[in-house]
Amino acid sequence: MPTSAKWWIDGDESAAEMLARVSAERSVSLLPPPLHRLPLRVGNVVELVGPSPSAKTLILIQAAINTILPSEWNGVHYGGLERSVMFIDLDCRFDILCLSEMLKHRIMNLNGSMNKMNQDQEDIGMQNFDTRRKSNIAYDEELYTLCMRRFLYVRCYDSFEFLSTLKTMHCHLQKEKEVKHSSIHLLMIDSIGAFYWVDRATSFLPSGSTNRKSLSLQSVFETVVQEIRKLVQVHPMLVIATKTTTFGDRNFANEAHRKYLPDTLDFRNAATNTRQLPYQENMPSVWQSFVTHRVHVRPSDHVTIVDRQNHSLYLSEWLLPSLSYLDKFIVQDGGVFLHN
Amino acid sequence: MAPLKSLEPEFSAIDSHFQMFCVSLGIFTEDFLLYDLHKLTGFAEQKPNSERLKQGITQLLSVVDGLHKPWMNGMDLLEDAKQNKHILSTGCEGIDMLLGGGLREGQLTEIVGPSSSGKTQVCLQAASSVAKKHMGSVVYIDTCNSFSPQRVASFVGLVSNLPFDQGAKHKILQNVMSNILCHSVFDIFAMFGVLHQLEFKLRSQKGDNQVQLLIVDSISSLITPILGGSGLHGHALMLSVGYLLKKLAHEHNIAILVTNHTVGGEGGIPKPALGETWKSIPHVRLLLSRDRGNNICSVSIIKHSSMASGKAASFMIYG
Repeated sequence: MPTSAKWWIDGDESAAEMLARVSAERSVSLLPPPLHRLPLRVGNVVELVGPSPSAKTLILIQAAINTILPSEWNGVHYGGLERSVMFIDLDCRFDILCLSEMLKHRIMNLNGSMNKMNQDQEDIGMQNFDTRRKSNIAYDEELYTLCMRRFLYVRCYDSFEFLSTLKTMHCHLQKEKEVKHSSIHLLMIDSIGAFYWVDRATSFLPSGSTNRKSLSLQSVFETVVQEIRKLVQVHPMLVIATKTTTFGDRNFANEAHRKYLPDTLDFRNAATNTRQLPYQENMPSVWQSFVTHRVHVRPSDHVTIVDRQNHSLYLSEWLLPSLSYLDKFIVQDGGVFLHN
Repeated sequence: MAPLKSLEPEFSAIDSHFQMFCVSLGIFTEDFLLYDLHKLTGFAEQKPNSERLKQGITQLLSVVDGLHKPWMNGMDLLEDAKQNKHILSTGCEGIDMLLGGGLREGQLTEIVGPSSSGKTQVCLQAASSVAKKHMGSVVYIDTCNSFSPQRVASFVGLVSNLPFDQGAKHKILQNVMSNILCHSVFDIFAMFGVLHQLEFKLRSQKGDNQVQLLIVDSISSLITPILGGSGLHGHALMLSVGYLLKKLAHEHNIAILVTNHTVGGEGGIPKPALGETWKSIPHVRLLLSRDRGNNICSVSIIKHSSMASGKAASFMIYG
């Protein structure tokens, strides 16, 4: 055994080595807009909150597409992470054709721009262009299939199914890793508050019996948080959950008031504004404290015209950590795009 | 989830020792889902027959794995959507055009409109169209005594343009009418009964003449009486019905059409009834309105999973 004092003082690794190791294992990435304001890393839990039709599922799909695309394929730069994603659908309204169309759009856009560049640069004859185009479309199919296979999906119709999915997810993830050699980077839960009312109304046992745990809202969420925590430790991944606010958006007056405040106003006003959430929070505190980031999206009343088509404008705002920007975005065929 | 005792014949490791071990921790049935597996294994290790108990835990875990739907990847979902989820025409050209063909199997479409805006007519027309064109059976759940066989017969008569003799026409009519099953329910618990029976029937028989369309006219008259007040059960029941309908739609490839009425909203503009919580149930929401005096209805999209809202079309109700 080496001289204990010197060995102890020397330490295991230097700060530079540790930083290099951590940034390789748990790298920081930027999600596509409107979640792009802050870099997110594995282990973060992002909650996307908003009233019922506010493009939350589309934002999830966009984030999924970013993750499942490769960074480069056949010379075309796609800029993806080439990892798998898991989508737990508690809302049970997911439309696979929506994902498929958005993915095809993305691939064709990026492929098409590459094609155009090639043609401009090399000045090819028509015949050559056709064969090259055909081969590009064939590659698209292969790429498309590869990406679609990286998207894993399960739907749960009640809390039992959700809990059993979480409990058995570890084995499935292990299998995926062994079979496909690609690990999960993103876990998406569509509408974490889907069974809120049903769980709140069910309480199986009278409160007398102390030994037995009953399936109530509190215990379900405690188990959910516990299981996700354990999963994230073994399979590091980013968690994004959507939540529908059911009591409507209060504090429209607050928003209007904020518009008239100049940016240089003192911190006191900013602090009181941030403490009041623009909706009523009804999730149990165990979930609220599990969430590390929160984004609020909602439709605004404005309609803008892009490409000669009317699009309704959505607003997104970071509540946790509280940033003072209000991003505006629109929904098009190719996805969710920022609008200035 | 069944009590542990009933799992014994199939899973040998879940014997009486294991059951006693579980009872000592307070696990009788589905409470297993609430327990931390590592803690459970830790407790098991302390007992003398730890290997056997751990086997029991593994087997119980495999039972739990069977409780949820299997994981699918994107290509499997696409296959399923292309092969099983067909589009059913409603018989109303305007609605078909708006929806890109018609009602989609696996989706819940909601038609919202004030009274006498033509919701029941659309339902009856959809029932007759599916029963005739697609040769599938239709289940019509009628909550307000609005089902009219005569109307359905007239829609069927209208659709067939070829000159038939009376005998053949009568035969077609008989076939179509026997494909439409009408249930009258007047409260939500009877509705649950009908839906559970339907689910059981669909799971046990997988033959021809499968149910393709399920119509609930109108779902709001069943749910509105139980909402309101300070009870939580109204919302819970509403969501349970919604999820049961979605489950039937997806697992058994049925298109579901429900109708809802309107209530006054902010500024006097009518909004759909059943509130915010119901908004997350239907895939597609259409708003129907009829000009007074004539038969022209206009329909617009309030919400669609892949189309922008606001698109509108109009059509005429014949007869």
